[in-house]
Amino acid sequence: MSGALAITGLGLVLPCGDGLEAARASLASGAPCFEELPEALGRGRGAVCGSFNPAGIIPPMQLRRLDRTSRFAWVAAHQAFRDADLDPTSLGERIAVAVGTMSAGSEASEAFMRPYLQRGPEGASPLIFPNTVANAASGHLALAFGLKGPGATFVDRENATFAALDQAARWLRAGLADAALVLGADGLFPLLLDICRGARLLARHGDPEVGSGRGFLPGEGAQAFLLETADHAEARGIRPRALLSVLADRSAPGAELQGRAQALALAAARALGQDLPSRWIGGSNGLDRLDGLETRLATVHPDWPSPRFPKALWGEFGGSGGQLLAAALLEPSERVLVTAPASSGAQFAARLDGVSLER
Amino acid sequence: MNRVVVTGLGLVSSLALGREDTWAAMLAGRDGLGPLTRLDLPAEPAQIAGQVPLGPLRHQTLCGRMALLALEEALDGFQPGGDATRIGVFQGAGTSGLPVAEAYLMDRLAGRRGHAAEPAYQGPCTVTDALAHRLGAEGPRSTLMNACSSSLLALGQAWERLAAGELDLAVAGGAESLCRTTYAGFSCLKAVDPGKCRPFSRDRAGLNLGEGAAQLLLEPLDRALARGATIYAEVLGYGASMDAHHPTAPHPEGEGAARAMTMALRTGRTEAAEVDLVSAHGTATPANDGAECLAIRRALGPAADRVSVTSTKSQFGHTLGAAGAIGAAAAVLALRDQTVSPTLRLEEPDPACDLDCTPLAAKERTIRAALVNAFAFGGNNVSLALRRWEGA
Repeated sequence: MSGALAITGLGLVLPCGDGLEAARASLASGAPCFEELPEALGRGRGAVCGSFNPAGIIPPMQLRRLDRTSRFAWVAAHQAFRDADLDPTSLGERIAVAVGTMSAGSEASEAFMRPYLQRGPEGASPLIFPNTVANAASGHLALAFGLKGPGATFVDRENATFAALDQAARWLRAGLADAALVLGADGLFPLLLDICRGARLLARHGDPEVGSGRGFLPGEGAQAFLLETADHAEARGIRPRALLSVLADRSAPGAELQGRAQALALAAARALGQDLPSRWIGGSNGLDRLDGLETRLATVHPDWPSPRFPKALWGEFGGSGGQLLAAALLEPSERVLVTAPASSGAQFAARLDGVSLER
Repeated sequence: MNRVVVTGLGLVSSLALGREDTWAAMLAGRDGLGPLTRLDLPAEPAQIAGQVPLGPLRHQTLCGRMALLALEEALDGFQPGGDATRIGVFQGAGTSGLPVAEAYLMDRLAGRRGHAAEPAYQGPCTVTDALAHRLGAEGPRSTLMNACSSSLLALGQAWERLAAGELDLAVAGGAESLCRTTYAGFSCLKAVDPGKCRPFSRDRAGLNLGEGAAQLLLEPLDRALARGATIYAEVLGYGASMDAHHPTAPHPEGEGAARAMTMALRTGRTEAAEVDLVSAHGTATPANDGAECLAIRRALGPAADRVSVTSTKSQFGHTLGAAGAIGAAAAVLALRDQTVSPTLRLEEPDPACDLDCTPLAAKERTIRAALVNAFAFGGNNVSLALRRWEGA
């Protein structure tokens, strides 16, 4: 992907609270949002959206039909449209939706299967089953906001949101949509945490320290970005919050650290060209398999600013690429590099220019 | 824009474990549906499915195993070389590793420790990574989960990047295995036919679930010609849309589906009058088939009266995340052989499905271009446009 696109709207549901101000304050304080998990999620620590309140945004009748991820996504999307000063019904067929997630569908799958396995067919709920597909959130958003353009949901582990961003950018450039709602969204649920615990992926003592290799702490939330071509934004008279100048991806053939580190370095080099970043947002989370990639990158680029790691504040899950992008937008800067290491092969890097919170 | 062609095709189905055997069985009107044995669900009223005669391996899900088998067939001995960063892998998934998660949950509910399968093993992008590893691919890779339109959109993604000149080669497709969640889910929605499904029939009563995989090798035309590759068909373009109508039901007049088809024709610079075949979504649910036929009429106009429509689901069942790629594979072979595979058990057509839905027997005819449809929960519609390859 090359050629700038405008990010004109931002919506945030994070463990530190909803909305731009809560996120800015959290980033400025640097205080992690981790706490003991609610009993329903099992033992351990994580960054839960405990204060999330969709009242007044999601109608009660709809609310009861939505899984946690879709609720987060709905509220973040609502914020993003408002922030972009765009009435979605005015563009309907010309708005695309691209979602990145690791949990969407799985929470509902567990909720659906538990009673089915315990009680047989009479335990199966036709209300829950539609949410077991990963693209349930995008369907709910389409219904809620009247979005009829192309839609896609990506599940590329930690980089799912970047894959979504890439696809949205292509639809905009091809003229298949005038605006795209890009989301990273994930909700915590018991089974996944249980599996992660069993696989010894979670940090067991204290909060994660990047580079410690002790494991990650889980997080949840949603981040929504309204993306438009620069021309479309200009014609609407809306000033972008930032320009997404380059989104670069590169893959390693295998899962080995060295190959993935090299792929991330190549993606970052493509994103930056000959320029130096004025800020660097990284995706390390406390797991060796991720942290090692950015540690190596920092070593070979001592002239770059030190990276900030939003996952050390807000936790890790598949929509976490949205967290990185959100963090990159929250502090005005000339040129921001976002690197998104992943445990799968595909590595992403993005370059944002002209980040400004002023309108 | 580069012209993009299909140069490899691998198919694993409940009819056969290979492309030509599957296609021959389809044209002969053989049925890939049979008794459900993969899952022990005695309380379910429907006991029919399209099962592939394979199982998972110790460190490989059934989806992964089928996907790799299909890739080997698609490669047909070709070992991609050149710039590895210009080889991409695009996969669509439905349930993918869900059987692993179900087994874990069953262990836990039974008070057992559970097999600590990493999310990485369960994750659908594990299949994508495995295919990329086999190819030595270092270019873009992505894993889509758009429910039943996943793998068709993955084909669209691959076309997009090849047409833009970003890649020299792409593998796109999907794989799907049966699991309890989908079986119980469609059953509780009353969407499963206890007998064998009857797409486009007046008395159709729902779908059957199936499993399988299809992988397509796509290349720019000039590279395919340069290496003397077999060319099966040309990929013209794709369209995608959302219904914004209902979480599970299609728009009753096929409004969103028609927009996806129209967009596929537009991106593919193809006239409706050139389309001779629609490889339909054709699930056999009461809601889908009539709406799809309306959508075909909306998209093709008068040309709909002479188009052939077919549903692969009458032979394999609904393979969910893999269904789009399997439908595309069947359309590619139909374009190659100028023969439409039949819709089985279509004894008495629904008057609402007033198109030529190729009842009971295969049909030889001229097929210049084809549309492939895949529609999904969440109102996600995708359509892919293909053209017959008649030589350079």
